[in-house]
This record gives sequence, structure tokens and C-alpha cells, in this order.
Amino acid sequence: MKRKALLGIGAAAVLTLSGCALNGGDSSSDSTESSSGPVTLTFQSLAYQDSTVAAVKDIVDTWNKKNPDIKIKLTQGTWDNVHDQLVTQFQGGTAPDIIHDESSDIMGFAQQGYLADISKYLSSDVKNAVSKDVWDTVTTADGKIVATPTLLQTYVVFANTDAFAAANVKVPSGKLTWDELASIAKQLTANGKFGVGWGLKQPTAAVMNTALGFDGTFFDTKDDGTATIHVGDDEVAVPERIHAMAYDDSSLDPVSLTQSGTDVLPGFLSGKYAMYVGGNFLAQQITESAPDGFKWTVLPPLAGSAGAAQAANPQTMSVSKQSKAPAQAAKFIDYFMSPENQAKLAQGDWLIPASKPARDAVAAATKGTPVWGPILKSGEDLAGAPFQKAKNYPQWKDQYATPALQQYFANSISLDDLKKQLSDGWSSIG
Amino acid sequence: MTAIAAPRRRSRRRGDGRDAWLLVLPALIPVVLLSVYPLLQGILLGFTDSKAGLNQTVDFTGVENYTKLLGNDLFWSSFRIGLIWAFGVTILQVLASLGLALLLNLNLRLRWLARTLALVPWAMPPVVIAIMWRMMLNPTYGPVNETMRSLGLPGDINWLGDFSTALPAVIVVGVWAGMPQTTVTLLAGLQNVSADLHEAAAIDGAGTWQRFWHVTLPALRPVIFAITSLDLIWNFNSFALVFVLTAGGPGGKTMLPALFAYNEAFKYGNFGYAAAMGNVMVVVIAAFLFLYLRGQARSRES
Amino acid sequence: MTQTIAPPAPHRQVTRKVTEPPVRRMRTFTRPLQYLALLGYVVFLGFPLLFLLSTSLKTPQELQSGDLSFLPRQFNWANFGNAVEKANLAHAAGNSLLVATLTTVVVTLISLPAAYALARFRTKLRGVATIWILLSQVFPFILIVIPVFLVLKQVGLVNNPIGLVLVYTVWCLPFALWMLRGYVAAIPVDLEEAGAIDGAGRLRVLRSIVLPLLAPGLVATSMFTFISSWNEFFFALVLIQDPGLQTLPLTLARFFGAEGQVQLGQLAAASLIATIPSLVFFLLIQRRLTSGLMSGAVKG
Repeated sequence: MKRKALLGIGAAAVLTLSGCALNGGDSSSDSTESSSGPVTLTFQSLAYQDSTVAAVKDIVDTWNKKNPDIKIKLTQGTWDNVHDQLVTQFQGGTAPDIIHDESSDIMGFAQQGYLADISKYLSSDVKNAVSKDVWDTVTTADGKIVATPTLLQTYVVFANTDAFAAANVKVPSGKLTWDELASIAKQLTANGKFGVGWGLKQPTAAVMNTALGFDGTFFDTKDDGTATIHVGDDEVAVPERIHAMAYDDSSLDPVSLTQSGTDVLPGFLSGKYAMYVGGNFLAQQITESAPDGFKWTVLPPLAGSAGAAQAANPQTMSVSKQSKAPAQAAKFIDYFMSPENQAKLAQGDWLIPASKPARDAVAAATKGTPVWGPILKSGEDLAGAPFQKAKNYPQWKDQYATPALQQYFANSISLDDLKKQLSDGWSSIG
Repeated sequence: MTAIAAPRRRSRRRGDGRDAWLLVLPALIPVVLLSVYPLLQGILLGFTDSKAGLNQTVDFTGVENYTKLLGNDLFWSSFRIGLIWAFGVTILQVLASLGLALLLNLNLRLRWLARTLALVPWAMPPVVIAIMWRMMLNPTYGPVNETMRSLGLPGDINWLGDFSTALPAVIVVGVWAGMPQTTVTLLAGLQNVSADLHEAAAIDGAGTWQRFWHVTLPALRPVIFAITSLDLIWNFNSFALVFVLTAGGPGGKTMLPALFAYNEAFKYGNFGYAAAMGNVMVVVIAAFLFLYLRGQARSRES
Repeated sequence: MTQTIAPPAPHRQVTRKVTEPPVRRMRTFTRPLQYLALLGYVVFLGFPLLFLLSTSLKTPQELQSGDLSFLPRQFNWANFGNAVEKANLAHAAGNSLLVATLTTVVVTLISLPAAYALARFRTKLRGVATIWILLSQVFPFILIVIPVFLVLKQVGLVNNPIGLVLVYTVWCLPFALWMLRGYVAAIPVDLEEAGAIDGAGRLRVLRSIVLPLLAPGLVATSMFTFISSWNEFFFALVLIQDPGLQTLPLTLARFFGAEGQVQLGQLAAASLIATIPSLVFFLLIQRRLTSGLMSGAVKG
């Protein structure tokens, strides 16, 4: 009898507690205005290359020396894990004050209300340094700036100049269209070697970004994040061409399409692929791992029918809404965005700064390394794309777009099937 | 449970029940706080619309999550994959481990070396196992493909990236990872089989195979049953290994239900919906558990 | 014709090592076949470890060159040093050691009396305990991770090794209880009662009779608890955010950069380092492990 009563009370307690605890995650205080007195802020950086890690540490140390009142504690996170980590940390109120992420990921958190509006804290220098198109990728629908864009990545074509010379093909300069790429690739394919290797194990980002070169926008996104999808010929122009190169021309290695970018790299370095398409940051790995005497360059940015446009998905620096000192945190971000600091980071990671003065600084510092030229150029025509602001994009990307594209690149479904799966997938999530 | 039916020579002290509670209390407190209570809360969560977001309200939605789940093709596809995985890994694991246990039970030379190496997978964190096999199955520089190439077989299959080979490859890794535990358990069971029985059977003229089939196997049956059921349950819930190996890809071909629910919660922020998936998984596993308990009860009676 | 022989009574512990009884007509090729089969198993189970070792000793150039040979062309010990430095492995190993040791101590301390009680006393707790032990294996990680996180947050133990120890304790407890209960049950009550008759107090009986007999079981249980805590990944992933407090499996994620960038040599080196303690443990107790140490749990 007593046991039953105990159980009953226990159950009631559990129910009440669960109600509390479910909402308990947001018990942390709303951000108050800047508190006077010294503060310590946590800054989680996702820098990976040794040189970039050192550059970030340098920046933080310099800041700490000059600003003893605003101490920055640097912690290290990983790209692979940052999204899931932020979900838990935001829910539990333990997110870092200063968050390093990328715009396609962080805007989802902005929609959930977790990021502070830093528009009023940023200096005009910082605001003017970056183009409006790129600012758009970190601004919410109601005009709040929730992050600063730092470094951009583009998809570029790396070329093995020796292979070009051996096949008597001229290395393109100035302009490179998709059609030209296809014809060059055919010329370079012989004796078991392929013209192109492209690691498209994770195909969606590459396809969505480069689709802008054909004006393939995929989504019409409204201000509140709801979006409708349209998958026409423009949208699938890029996958179609890749598929044609792989299966009609046999100039693109189909096996590479199932591998990640870094896994295809050994093939490029050993001469199996004359050209290698990937993110420009791969230049760092090429420099590190290339055998002696390996000669390579970066080709001009790939242009479709609408030019060489790619979607801008900059790395970002944000302030958590749950931070106790948002003004100070934003001050550090402002410092972080200075051209010298951005140039240092860009060179460490082989990425393109969003800030124009920083780009100029990098160009000046890398005069001796010619490959930087085309890389920096590829970062000039970047703009936001509708898919980045669409709610449920991540889910569609994981559950429908990626499997469909993977199957298309494995030649198991047709182009029409691809279009259908992409649009149907979006409707089933809606 | 081994019930000790020793004759009571001393009268049972009145405080036995209370003593038991006292002894169990230090274990009870953390268990209730960090196991029972969160579990109940987790189950409850499956009936709400809890989502990620600052100052989100949480409302009870009853069975709405479950009706939605009924129509979620991707979830049921992952469920099917989970069953294939669980049964595949468990059956192969038990068969392979049985073979190994039998071999280790023999008086072969270098037995100590074999026994140590057999335990290697157990010593490795699942994360390390996954990382290592990813490297081994790499199409360009992995030793598996290299061996195939040197044998003249096609040597560029992307085991973990190809839609048709991903799940089988992952199952092989699962078997590899789970063999030590199963082998050790079966070996212990084998050694419990009385030597006298073997000798008696040998004297009666039974050959090796007959001895195995009629003496060893029946004796081993409760152990086999126990370890198979437990393996099934553990494997159905398995998470870490496949998470690091393929994250459920390619194209969802290795998306175990635990992974699917994890993504729902931590990638898309739908906590309530994910908890509902967890609840559904529990029901299935409870069915396995029921079979296990019934089997245990039966084997005790026999 | 089936010769059904009843399985041996559960209590009987076979102390003699069972080996294959002498058989007259042994066909001469069964032995080599057995060795071959054993070799096959050994290669399957042991080769990956050797591969890891070989990879950890290669330079980045060699790894990216696509040229595969088992022996590295130049032995590159730098990978180990770099790995340790890059991911602060020594520190993480220290964290793992702390957490695993504390967990093992706590689990042993609280499971021993509980296991004794469950094995010796007839209470309703037995049924409840069995149900909980089995159910706790059943529930998927996803159901408890967020509530556990919230509970710990409310007592301020998120991002704190003590919080992790508590979670691991509860996580390892079922298996520990199950094993220890079996071991206690295998010790005949008569021994305790004989001691009591001889005039020793209950506590003395436990200390001088039961405990020594329980020692191998305790060792086995502690070992499993230690290794489980050392290897655990997901609770640590959710509960520990400060890199200074990370445990070893978490730091392995450090070697993966964006879009699959990975430094293979260092990753292999770090993976090896993460495996060493368990390997050492296993080497030490492998003989005892495979000769009946598990029998207690099996009977349980």
C-alpha cells in the first residue's frame, strides 16, 4: 500500500519535473546590456590547418594584451561536429559567446532566435569592406545582421601543367566555360588516365553553388523562410554536364564521383587525373603533399550561361544571444574582421576573404605565388542564393538531394528521375 | 537468476529485506536520477512537439507524432535497414565466434597469440574501429582493394560509397567489432561442458562431428541463446560504429534507426519527433527482450 | 538416434581446463585445416591493427602518393609527436584516465553491496533490478541523452568530468551488477554460514571468505567498466564542450577537417595511442579471461 502511494507520488513528481525541465533549457538570462568591469568570453574556433590555428591564436593573444578588460578564451571545435554541438549547447544555454560557423548553417540557428543582432556594434569600416551581396547571406529577413562573413570558398579546377604539355593542350587562361572544360577533358583522356577527377561524395553543396552559373536558383524563398522549389533545365545543367563527361565522354572518372575530395587527391598527385575539381582550400593539401617536381596551377573560374557566379557561403563569426556581454563580443569580432587579420587567416587556409581590403592585402602578400591570382579572382562574383535562406533546406539536402544526386552520378537513375526526386522530396518535407 | 535453494539452517533475520534496501541504496540514487527519470522524461517527450529554439513552448500533442511517423517512408526504410543489420550482424557474429571458440578450445600451438589477437577489436574504441575500417576500405589506398588488385579481382570498388555494397561492408565491420565478446562468452560456455560427457561419448564411439552435434551444442544452447538475444538487442540499438563509418550514407543505405532519430533531434532540431521514433524502437526491442526472457525461463525449466 | 544428454547443473564450476579428449581415428589432415582456419581468423581480427601501425609510421607524401606497401619507405615517427601535440593527446588521455578510474571505483563501490544483496536476499528488488538491468540495455541513446543533459545542467555538472563520471557510472552499472551478482551467487552460502558457525561476525565472514573468492570477478568487472568508460564517445560528445576537458575518443574527431580533409598518419597514430591501455589490460589478463572468467556472468 505504502509502495503504491510512493509510486503515485513519484509519477506525479516526474510529470511536473519533466514539464519544468523541458523548458528548463532556456532558463539562462536574456542578454543584458554591456556590463562594466572585466569579462571573459569564450570563442570557439574551427580552424583546422596548423597555419590557421596559429594565426587565430596570434590574433587572440594580441587582442588579450591590448584589452585586458575583455579576455577571450580560445577553444577549438571541429567542422564535422559543430552543428550538432551547437544544437545541444543552445538548448542547454552553454553555447560559446563567439561562434565560428558558416552562413548556411548559422542562419538556421538565427531563425530559431539564438543569435544576437550585432548590426549596431559593427564599425562602418567593416560594413563597407564587404559587398552587399555577401552581407545578405548573414542578414535575417527583418534586416538584422547576425554574423560577419570572414572567409569564402569557391570550387576551382586544379590542373597538372605537365599533363597538359604532354598532351599538347593549351592551359586556359582568362576564361573557362563548361563546354571548354568538357572538350579539354576529352583531349586529356588517354592511356588509362582521365581528364578530370572530381570528388562528389557530398554532391549537393557543389551542385547548388555552381548552379548559379546557369541561373539555377532552385527555390523561391519568402522572408519567413518558407520556399517553393522549381527544378528545371537550368537547375540540373551542372549535374547533366558532369554525368555527360563521366558516362558519354568517359573523360571524368566515375569512381571519383563516389569519393570525397581529399580521397581523389592522391589520384591527381600521381598523374591519374589531369584536372581536379574541388574547393580552393585544397591548395593547402596539394602544397603539403605534392611529390617533388609536381607542377600545377589553378584554372580560371568555370563559367556557365550566366557567367562564373557561384553561391557565397562564407565562414561566419556570430555572437550568441545568451551571451552576457554581447557588445564586448561584437567588439572582438570587429577587430577580427580587420584586413590584416583576415589576410593572415586567408593565407593560412587558402581561402578568400570576404573583405575587399583583405583581398588586396592577400594579393600583395602572395605576389610570388601565381596560383593565388585565379583563386582570388574566383571569389569576386559571389552572391547569396535562395536555398541558403530556405527553412528545411538541411533536411531536404540530407534526405533527398544527396541520395538523388549520388544515384544520378552512379548512373542508376535518369535526369528526369533526378528532377522528380528533388521536387517530390521537397514536397514531402513541407 | 540463480536461486540458491540452500536449506535454511538459521532462522531468517527480520531485517533481511531492510538490509537489502540499505545495500542497494547507494546504487539506487544515481540510477533513479540519471537513468529512470531521464528515461521517463524521454518517453514523455515523444508525445510532445518539443523543438529547438529559444523560448519555445512545449505542448502535448498526443499521438500526432506517431501518425506522422506512420507516413514517414524514410523512417520505415531505416527501420528495415536496422533489422537487416541487427540480424545480419548477430547471426554472422555468433556463427563466426562459435567457430573461433571451438578452435580456441583445441590444444593448438600458439593458442595464447590467437587468444590475444582475437581480443583486439574489443580493446579498440568503436570510434577507432570505424576510422580504421574507413581507411582500410578506401578504394584508392586501402589494403582491401590493394589485395583484390593483386589477386586480379576488380580493385576499385568504393565499399562504403557504393549503394549496393555499403550495408554488407558495414555489417562485416559490425561482426569484426563484436566477435571478441561473443567468442569469449561461447568459449566460457564450451569450457563448462563437462569433459566427462565428451569422454563418455567418445568411448561410445561417437566421431568428432557427432560429439559436437549431440554433446556440445545442446550443452551450449542456453549460452548461445543468451548471447544471441543480447547481441540482437545491442546491435539494433547500435550507433557509434555506423555513425563514424558512414553517418548513414550513402543515400541512407546504412541509416540505422538510431542514427535516423539522432539526425532528427540534433540536425533538424525536432526533439519530440525524435523521441517518438525512440519509443517505437523500444517497442520492437521489447519484443526481442520478451523472447529472450521466455527463452531463459524455458531453459531453466528444461 | 539422438543421444540427448542433459546439460550440466548450473552450479558446477569446471576447474579443469577442457581440451579435446583423445580420439582414436584422427584423420591427419584435420589438424592442418584447424591451423589454417585459426590463421584465417587471426588475420581477419589482427590485420587491421597492423595496418594502423603501418599507416602511423608513414609520411604524408607516401600516404597521398597512392603507393601502397606495408612497410613504410621512411619511418616517420613524427606522426606520433605531431598527433600528441595537435590534439593535446596527453591531456586528453589524462582526462580519460581520470574519468575511467573514478567511474570504475564508484561502480565497484556501489555495485558490490548491491550485487551481494541481490544475490543473497530474497526481496522484490531482485525482480525490479533484473527488469531495470535488461531494460537499460534496450533504450536507445536518443531517448535519454537530452533529458540527461538537462538534469546535469540543472545541477551544474555539464562540461564537468564529475558529471561524466556520474553518467558513466549509471551506464556501466547494469553490466557490473549482472556480472557481480553471478559471481556472488556462485559462491556457496554454506561457506559463509560455516564461517558464522565458527564464530566470526558477518562482516568478518564477508571480508575474509567472500571477498577473496570474489576477487577474480571483481577484477573482471572493474576491467570491463574501465574499458567501457575509456572507449565511450557519445555521452562525452554531448556533455563535454570544453576541449581542455575532452576525453581521448573525442579528440580523434580533431583530425578531420572540413569536407573530409584528414591527416591520415596522425590519425592512425592517435588511434593507436587511444587503444594502448585496453590492449595492455587485455594482454595481461587474456589467459584468465578466456579460461572461465566469464563463467560467472554466463551462469547469471
